[in-house]
Amino acid sequence: MSMNFLRLIGIVALTALTQGARAELKWEQTSVDLQPALGDKQAVAHFKYENVGKTPVHFTSVHASCGCTTAQTQNEQVAPGEKGEITATFNIGGRTGTQVKTVTVQTDDPDPAHSTIVLTLKAVITPLLEIQPALVYWQNGEEPKPKIITAKANKAAAIKKLDVASSTPDFTAKVDAGSAPNEFKISVQPRDTAKAAYATLSIKPDSPVNTGNMFAVAARVMPPAPTAATTSTPATKSTLSTIRRDLATPAATAASPSQ
Amino acid sequence: MKVSAVRQALLLIALALVPAIGEAIYFRNKVSWQAPIPASELVTVAQAQSWGDNVIWVDARPSEEFDRDHIPGAISLNEDRWNELLPQFLGQWSPERKVVVYCSAQSCNASREVAKRLRDEAQLKNVFVLDGGWEGWLKNKR
Repeated sequence: MSMNFLRLIGIVALTALTQGARAELKWEQTSVDLQPALGDKQAVAHFKYENVGKTPVHFTSVHASCGCTTAQTQNEQVAPGEKGEITATFNIGGRTGTQVKTVTVQTDDPDPAHSTIVLTLKAVITPLLEIQPALVYWQNGEEPKPKIITAKANKAAAIKKLDVASSTPDFTAKVDAGSAPNEFKISVQPRDTAKAAYATLSIKPDSPVNTGNMFAVAARVMPPAPTAATTSTPATKSTLSTIRRDLATPAATAASPSQ
Repeated sequence: MKVSAVRQALLLIALALVPAIGEAIYFRNKVSWQAPIPASELVTVAQAQSWGDNVIWVDARPSEEFDRDHIPGAISLNEDRWNELLPQFLGQWSPERKVVVYCSAQSCNASREVAKRLRDEAQLKNVFVLDGGWEGWLKNKR
Protein backbone atom coordinates (compact mmCIF):
# COMPACT_ATOMS: atom_id res chain seq x y z
CA MET A 1 0.00 0.00 0.00
CA SER A 2 1.48 3.30 -1.04
CA MET A 3 2.38 6.03 1.39
CA ASN A 4 0.14 8.44 -0.50
CA PHE A 5 -2.90 6.29 0.17
CA LEU A 6 -2.13 6.07 3.90
CA ARG A 7 -1.73 9.86 3.95
CA LEU A 8 -5.15 10.22 2.31
CA ILE A 9 -6.77 8.05 4.98
CA GLY A 10 -4.98 10.08 7.66
CA ILE A 11 -6.32 13.35 6.24
CA VAL A 12 -9.88 11.98 6.08
CA ALA A 13 -9.68 10.75 9.69
CA LEU A 14 -8.19 14.05 10.90
CA THR A 15 -10.90 16.07 9.13
CA ALA A 16 -13.59 13.95 10.74
CA LEU A 17 -12.07 14.42 14.19
CA THR A 18 -11.74 18.18 13.70
CA GLN A 19 -15.38 18.42 12.63
CA GLY A 20 -16.42 16.55 15.79
CA ALA A 21 -14.45 18.87 18.03
CA ARG A 22 -16.07 21.96 16.50
CA ALA A 23 -19.57 20.88 17.50
CA GLU A 24 -20.43 22.95 20.56
CA LEU A 25 -24.05 22.16 21.41
CA LYS A 26 -24.33 18.48 22.18
CA TRP A 27 -27.85 17.04 22.21
CA GLU A 28 -28.78 14.13 24.43
CA GLN A 29 -31.32 13.12 21.79
CA THR A 30 -32.81 14.83 18.77
CA SER A 31 -35.76 12.46 18.43
CA VAL A 32 -38.31 11.67 21.14
CA ASP A 33 -41.05 9.04 21.00
CA LEU A 34 -44.10 9.73 23.13
CA GLN A 35 -47.10 7.61 24.06
CA PRO A 36 -49.69 10.02 25.45
CA ALA A 37 -52.21 8.45 27.79
CA LEU A 38 -55.84 8.09 26.69
CA GLY A 39 -57.64 11.40 26.85
CA ASP A 40 -54.43 13.47 27.19
CA LYS A 41 -54.72 16.90 25.62
CA GLN A 42 -50.99 17.50 25.19
CA ALA A 43 -47.75 15.59 24.64
CA VAL A 44 -44.55 17.19 25.88
CA ALA A 45 -41.03 16.35 24.70
CA HIS A 46 -37.82 17.52 26.38
CA PHE A 47 -34.74 17.86 24.22
CA LYS A 48 -31.69 18.21 26.48
CA TYR A 49 -28.44 19.79 25.39
CA GLU A 50 -25.07 20.82 26.74
CA ASN A 51 -22.62 23.37 25.44
CA VAL A 52 -19.43 21.34 25.22
CA GLY A 53 -17.54 24.09 23.39
CA LYS A 54 -15.48 26.95 24.70
CA THR A 55 -17.67 29.82 23.53
CA PRO A 56 -21.32 30.73 24.30
CA VAL A 57 -24.01 29.57 21.87
CA HIS A 58 -27.05 31.73 21.07
CA PHE A 59 -30.36 30.41 19.79
CA THR A 60 -31.32 32.57 16.82
CA SER A 61 -34.63 30.87 16.02
CA VAL A 62 -36.79 28.00 17.25
CA HIS A 63 -39.55 27.11 14.83
CA ALA A 64 -42.15 24.31 15.02
CA SER A 65 -43.38 22.59 11.86
CA CYS A 66 -47.05 23.02 12.74
CA GLY A 67 -49.25 25.49 14.58
CA CYS A 68 -50.23 22.65 16.89
CA THR A 69 -46.73 22.55 18.41
CA THR A 70 -44.99 25.18 20.50
CA ALA A 71 -41.31 25.11 21.45
CA GLN A 72 -39.57 26.97 24.24
CA THR A 73 -35.93 27.41 25.15
CA GLN A 74 -34.86 27.94 28.77
CA ASN A 75 -32.31 30.61 27.86
CA GLU A 76 -31.41 32.39 24.69
CA GLN A 77 -27.72 32.02 25.45
CA VAL A 78 -25.95 28.86 26.57
CA ALA A 79 -22.63 29.40 28.32
CA PRO A 80 -19.78 26.88 27.93
CA GLY A 81 -20.48 23.83 30.08
CA GLU A 82 -24.09 24.88 30.64
CA LYS A 83 -26.92 22.38 30.25
CA GLY A 84 -30.51 23.05 29.31
CA GLU A 85 -33.44 21.84 27.33
CA ILE A 86 -35.94 22.81 24.67
CA THR A 87 -39.49 21.88 25.55
CA ALA A 88 -41.81 21.04 22.68
CA THR A 89 -45.52 20.92 23.50
CA PHE A 90 -47.78 19.24 21.01
CA ASN A 91 -51.48 20.04 21.36
CA ILE A 92 -53.24 16.86 20.35
CA GLY A 93 -56.63 18.38 19.51
CA GLY A 94 -58.67 15.88 17.52
CA ARG A 95 -55.66 14.07 16.05
CA THR A 96 -55.23 10.32 16.14
CA GLY A 97 -52.61 7.82 15.01
CA THR A 98 -48.90 8.49 14.53
CA GLN A 99 -48.05 12.16 14.55
CA VAL A 100 -44.58 13.40 13.69
CA LYS A 101 -43.80 17.04 14.41
CA THR A 102 -40.47 18.78 14.05
CA VAL A 103 -38.85 21.77 15.70
CA THR A 104 -36.08 23.50 13.76
CA VAL A 105 -33.50 25.14 15.99
CA GLN A 106 -30.97 27.61 14.67
CA THR A 107 -27.92 28.79 16.56
CA ASP A 108 -25.09 31.20 15.84
CA ASP A 109 -22.61 28.32 15.49
CA PRO A 110 -20.33 29.44 12.64
CA ASP A 111 -20.24 25.90 11.29
CA PRO A 112 -23.30 25.59 9.00
CA ALA A 113 -23.35 21.83 9.61
CA HIS A 114 -24.14 22.45 13.28
CA SER A 115 -26.04 25.73 13.23
CA THR A 116 -29.36 24.08 12.29
CA ILE A 117 -30.74 21.18 14.28
CA VAL A 118 -34.04 19.46 13.58
CA LEU A 119 -35.68 17.97 16.67
CA THR A 120 -38.36 15.36 16.05
CA LEU A 121 -41.30 14.55 18.25
CA LYS A 122 -43.23 11.40 17.44
CA ALA A 123 -46.45 10.75 19.29
CA VAL A 124 -48.72 7.76 18.86
CA ILE A 125 -52.24 8.85 19.79
CA THR A 126 -54.68 6.14 20.60
CA PRO A 127 -58.27 7.25 20.24
CA LEU A 128 -60.76 6.61 23.01
CA LEU A 129 -63.38 5.73 20.41
CA GLU A 130 -63.19 4.89 16.73
CA ILE A 131 -66.46 5.88 15.09
CA GLN A 132 -67.51 4.93 11.57
CA PRO A 133 -69.08 6.36 9.58
CA ALA A 134 -69.11 9.92 10.87
CA LEU A 135 -72.09 10.67 8.63
CA VAL A 136 -75.31 8.80 7.94
CA TYR A 137 -77.71 10.25 5.42
CA TRP A 138 -80.93 9.49 3.61
CA GLN A 139 -81.95 10.74 0.22
CA ASN A 140 -85.11 12.77 0.17
CA GLY A 141 -88.08 10.42 0.06
CA GLU A 142 -85.97 7.33 0.88
CA GLU A 143 -87.54 4.83 3.26
CA PRO A 144 -86.63 6.03 6.79
CA LYS A 145 -84.95 2.79 7.87
CA PRO A 146 -82.38 2.93 10.68
CA LYS A 147 -78.72 3.21 9.71
CA ILE A 148 -75.89 1.95 11.88
CA ILE A 149 -72.82 3.78 13.17
CA THR A 150 -70.19 1.55 14.79
CA ALA A 151 -68.17 2.83 17.75
CA LYS A 152 -65.15 0.76 18.78
CA ALA A 153 -63.95 1.65 22.25
CA ASN A 154 -60.34 1.39 23.31
CA LYS A 155 -60.00 -1.58 25.65
CA ALA A 156 -58.01 0.46 28.19
CA ALA A 157 -60.77 3.05 28.37
CA ALA A 158 -63.14 0.53 30.00
CA ILE A 159 -66.18 2.19 28.48
CA LYS A 160 -69.34 0.72 29.96
CA LYS A 161 -71.86 2.69 27.95
CA LEU A 162 -72.29 5.48 25.45
CA ASP A 163 -74.74 8.33 25.78
CA VAL A 164 -75.92 9.60 22.40
CA ALA A 165 -78.05 12.71 22.04
CA SER A 166 -79.46 14.22 18.86
CA SER A 167 -79.39 18.00 18.50
CA THR A 168 -82.86 18.00 16.91
CA PRO A 169 -85.96 15.80 17.33
CA ASP A 170 -85.77 14.94 13.61
CA PHE A 171 -83.60 11.91 14.41
CA THR A 172 -83.58 9.28 17.11
CA ALA A 173 -80.53 7.30 18.21
CA LYS A 174 -80.38 4.03 20.09
CA VAL A 175 -77.22 2.37 21.43
CA ASP A 176 -76.75 -1.41 21.58
CA ALA A 177 -73.80 -3.66 22.28
CA GLY A 178 -71.90 -4.56 19.12
CA SER A 179 -70.88 -7.97 17.83
CA ALA A 180 -67.36 -7.70 19.30
CA PRO A 181 -66.21 -6.82 22.82
CA ASN A 182 -65.85 -3.05 23.39
CA GLU A 183 -68.03 -2.33 20.37
CA PHE A 184 -71.25 -0.37 20.25
CA LYS A 185 -73.85 -0.06 17.51
CA ILE A 186 -75.62 3.28 17.27
CA SER A 187 -78.84 2.94 15.34
CA VAL A 188 -79.96 6.26 13.85
CA GLN A 189 -83.36 6.84 12.30
CA PRO A 190 -85.01 9.93 10.83
CA ARG A 191 -88.63 10.70 11.73
CA ASP A 192 -89.36 11.17 8.05
CA THR A 193 -87.47 11.81 4.87
CA ALA A 194 -89.95 14.07 3.12
CA LYS A 195 -88.03 17.22 4.04
CA ALA A 196 -84.36 18.06 4.52
CA ALA A 197 -83.10 17.65 8.07
CA TYR A 198 -79.78 17.77 9.89
CA ALA A 199 -78.69 16.81 13.38
CA THR A 200 -75.44 16.51 15.27
CA LEU A 201 -75.31 13.38 17.34
CA SER A 202 -73.18 13.97 20.44
CA ILE A 203 -71.56 10.84 21.78
CA LYS A 204 -70.37 10.81 25.35
CA PRO A 205 -68.44 7.76 26.51
CA ASP A 206 -68.90 6.77 30.14
CA SER A 207 -65.29 5.97 30.99
CA PRO A 208 -63.09 6.52 34.05
CA VAL A 209 -60.31 7.89 31.79
CA ASN A 210 -62.54 10.24 29.83
CA THR A 211 -61.98 13.82 30.88
CA GLY A 212 -65.01 15.33 29.21
CA ASN A 213 -64.14 14.27 25.67
CA MET A 214 -67.20 14.42 23.43
CA PHE A 215 -67.46 12.95 19.99
CA ALA A 216 -69.88 14.05 17.33
CA VAL A 217 -71.24 12.62 14.11
CA ALA A 218 -73.86 13.94 11.71
CA ALA A 219 -77.19 12.65 10.44
CA ARG A 220 -78.95 14.17 7.46
CA VAL A 221 -81.92 13.90 5.21
CA MET A 222 -80.70 15.43 1.98
CA PRO A 223 -82.69 18.17 0.28
CA PRO A 224 -84.72 17.13 -2.76
CA ALA A 225 -82.57 16.71 -5.84
CA PRO A 226 -82.68 19.90 -7.88
CA THR A 227 -85.20 19.53 -10.69
CA ALA A 228 -84.68 20.88 -14.16
CA ALA A 229 -87.34 23.52 -13.52
CA THR A 230 -85.66 24.89 -10.37
CA THR A 231 -82.15 25.02 -11.81
CA SER A 232 -82.97 26.09 -15.33
CA THR A 233 -81.95 29.25 -17.01
CA PRO A 234 -84.63 31.34 -18.78
CA ALA A 235 -83.63 29.68 -22.05
CA THR A 236 -84.09 26.21 -20.54
CA LYS A 237 -87.47 27.20 -19.07
CA SER A 238 -88.56 28.20 -22.52
CA THR A 239 -87.41 24.83 -23.88
CA LEU A 240 -89.35 23.08 -21.09
CA SER A 241 -92.49 25.01 -21.98
CA THR A 242 -92.09 23.81 -25.55
CA ILE A 243 -91.72 20.22 -24.33
CA ARG A 244 -94.83 20.56 -22.14
CA ARG A 245 -96.80 21.92 -25.11
CA ASP A 246 -95.53 19.01 -27.21
CA LEU A 247 -96.64 16.57 -24.50
CA ALA A 248 -100.22 17.57 -25.21
CA THR A 249 -100.00 15.59 -28.44
CA PRO A 250 -100.26 11.76 -28.11
CA ALA A 251 -97.13 11.19 -30.23
CA ALA A 252 -94.99 13.35 -27.97
CA THR A 253 -96.37 11.67 -24.85
CA ALA A 254 -95.39 8.27 -26.20
CA ALA A 255 -91.90 9.50 -27.05
CA SER A 256 -91.28 11.00 -23.60
CA PRO A 257 -92.51 8.58 -20.95
CA SER A 258 -90.30 10.06 -18.28
CA GLN A 259 -91.90 13.48 -18.60
CA MET B 1 -0.66 -1.80 -10.87
CA LYS B 2 -4.21 -2.72 -11.96
CA VAL B 3 -4.65 -5.14 -9.02
CA SER B 4 -3.43 -2.49 -6.62
CA ALA B 5 -5.97 0.05 -7.94
CA VAL B 6 -8.81 -2.44 -7.54
CA ARG B 7 -7.67 -3.25 -4.02
CA GLN B 8 -7.55 0.46 -3.13
CA ALA B 9 -11.02 0.99 -4.59
CA LEU B 10 -12.41 -1.91 -2.57
CA LEU B 11 -10.76 -0.58 0.57
CA LEU B 12 -12.30 2.86 -0.01
CA ILE B 13 -15.75 1.31 -0.51
CA ALA B 14 -15.33 -0.68 2.71
CA LEU B 15 -14.31 2.51 4.54
CA ALA B 16 -17.33 4.34 3.17
CA LEU B 17 -19.62 1.55 4.31
CA VAL B 18 -18.64 1.97 7.97
CA PRO B 19 -20.18 5.48 8.43
CA ALA B 20 -23.06 4.56 6.07
CA ILE B 21 -24.07 1.59 8.24
CA GLY B 22 -23.63 3.71 11.38
CA GLU B 23 -25.87 6.42 9.92
CA ALA B 24 -28.50 3.87 8.86
CA ILE B 25 -28.65 2.55 12.43
CA TYR B 26 -28.56 5.99 14.06
CA PHE B 27 -31.24 7.46 11.77
CA ARG B 28 -33.43 4.36 11.63
CA ASN B 29 -36.27 6.24 13.35
CA LYS B 30 -35.92 9.30 11.16
CA VAL B 31 -37.33 7.92 7.98
CA SER B 32 -39.71 10.10 6.02
CA TRP B 33 -43.29 9.71 7.17
CA GLN B 34 -44.70 11.45 4.16
CA ALA B 35 -45.44 9.22 1.23
CA PRO B 36 -46.20 11.32 -1.84
CA ILE B 37 -49.89 12.01 -2.45
CA PRO B 38 -51.16 9.87 -5.35
CA ALA B 39 -51.72 11.97 -8.46
CA SER B 40 -55.37 10.87 -8.56
CA GLU B 41 -55.97 12.62 -5.22
CA LEU B 42 -54.30 15.91 -6.19
CA VAL B 43 -55.97 18.71 -8.11
CA THR B 44 -54.51 21.91 -9.43
CA VAL B 45 -56.13 25.27 -8.72
CA ALA B 46 -57.19 25.54 -12.37
CA GLN B 47 -58.83 22.11 -12.32
CA ALA B 48 -60.70 22.83 -9.10
CA GLN B 49 -61.80 26.24 -10.38
CA SER B 50 -63.09 24.63 -13.56
CA TRP B 51 -65.55 22.63 -11.41
CA GLY B 52 -67.21 25.94 -10.50
CA ASP B 53 -69.99 25.64 -7.91
CA ASN B 54 -69.55 21.89 -7.87
CA VAL B 55 -66.73 22.23 -5.31
CA ILE B 56 -66.76 22.44 -1.53
CA TRP B 57 -63.51 24.08 -0.42
CA VAL B 58 -62.21 22.82 2.92
CA ASP B 59 -59.63 24.88 4.79
CA ALA B 60 -57.45 22.59 6.92
CA ARG B 61 -55.33 25.41 8.36
CA PRO B 62 -55.61 26.50 12.01
CA SER B 63 -58.76 28.51 12.74
CA GLU B 64 -56.81 31.77 13.24
CA GLU B 65 -55.40 31.54 9.73
CA PHE B 66 -58.85 30.74 8.34
CA ASP B 67 -60.30 33.75 10.17
CA ARG B 68 -57.61 35.98 8.66
CA ASP B 69 -58.40 34.96 5.09
CA HIS B 70 -59.60 31.98 3.13
CA ILE B 71 -60.93 30.92 -0.27
CA PRO B 72 -64.42 32.44 -0.65
CA GLY B 73 -67.05 29.99 0.55
CA ALA B 74 -64.50 27.65 2.18
CA ILE B 75 -65.44 25.70 5.30
CA SER B 76 -62.97 25.47 8.17
CA LEU B 77 -62.08 21.90 9.16
CA ASN B 78 -58.85 21.33 11.02
CA GLU B 79 -57.59 18.60 13.31
CA ASP B 80 -57.21 20.98 16.26
CA ARG B 81 -61.01 21.17 16.52
CA TRP B 82 -61.94 18.05 14.57
CA ASN B 83 -64.80 16.82 16.78
CA GLU B 84 -66.40 20.24 16.76
CA LEU B 85 -65.92 21.18 13.11
CA LEU B 86 -66.56 17.85 11.40
CA PRO B 87 -70.34 17.78 12.02
CA GLN B 88 -70.57 21.40 10.83
CA PHE B 89 -68.84 20.47 7.59
CA LEU B 90 -70.98 17.35 7.12
CA GLY B 91 -74.06 19.53 7.51
CA GLN B 92 -73.03 21.42 4.37
CA TRP B 93 -71.65 18.51 2.35
CA SER B 94 -73.59 17.15 -0.56
CA PRO B 95 -72.83 13.98 -2.54
CA GLU B 96 -72.90 15.73 -5.91
CA ARG B 97 -70.09 18.13 -5.04
CA LYS B 98 -66.36 17.45 -5.00
CA VAL B 99 -64.42 18.25 -1.85
CA VAL B 100 -61.08 20.05 -2.24
CA VAL B 101 -58.95 20.35 0.90
CA TYR B 102 -56.13 22.84 1.19
CA CYS B 103 -53.61 23.95 3.79
CA SER B 104 -50.91 26.55 3.95
CA ALA B 105 -48.28 25.27 1.52
CA GLN B 106 -47.32 22.49 -0.79
CA SER B 107 -45.30 20.79 1.93
CA CYS B 108 -48.09 21.09 4.50
CA ASN B 109 -49.43 17.83 5.75
CA ALA B 110 -52.73 18.98 7.26
CA SER B 111 -54.72 18.86 4.01
CA ARG B 112 -53.77 15.28 3.22
CA GLU B 113 -54.59 14.23 6.81
CA VAL B 114 -58.00 15.91 6.69
CA ALA B 115 -58.70 14.46 3.23
CA LYS B 116 -57.75 10.98 4.45
CA ARG B 117 -59.99 11.26 7.51
CA LEU B 118 -62.91 12.43 5.40
CA ARG B 119 -62.48 9.38 3.19
CA ASP B 120 -61.93 6.94 6.07
CA GLU B 121 -64.11 8.23 8.87
CA ALA B 122 -66.96 9.92 7.00
CA GLN B 123 -66.60 7.55 4.02
CA LEU B 124 -66.87 10.41 1.54
CA LYS B 125 -65.91 10.00 -2.08
CA ASN B 126 -64.44 12.62 -4.42
CA VAL B 127 -62.15 14.17 -1.83
CA PHE B 128 -59.05 15.86 -3.27
CA VAL B 129 -56.01 17.76 -2.02
CA LEU B 130 -55.21 21.12 -3.58
CA ASP B 131 -51.77 21.09 -5.19
CA GLY B 132 -49.85 24.13 -3.97
CA GLY B 133 -52.31 24.81 -1.17
CA TRP B 134 -53.40 28.26 -0.04
CA GLU B 135 -50.30 29.91 -1.53
CA GLY B 136 -50.99 28.22 -4.84
CA TRP B 137 -54.52 29.57 -4.83
CA LEU B 138 -53.31 33.10 -4.00
CA LYS B 139 -50.74 32.94 -6.80
CA ASN B 140 -53.37 31.79 -9.27
CA LYS B 141 -55.77 34.50 -8.18
CA ARG B 142 -53.34 37.29 -9.13
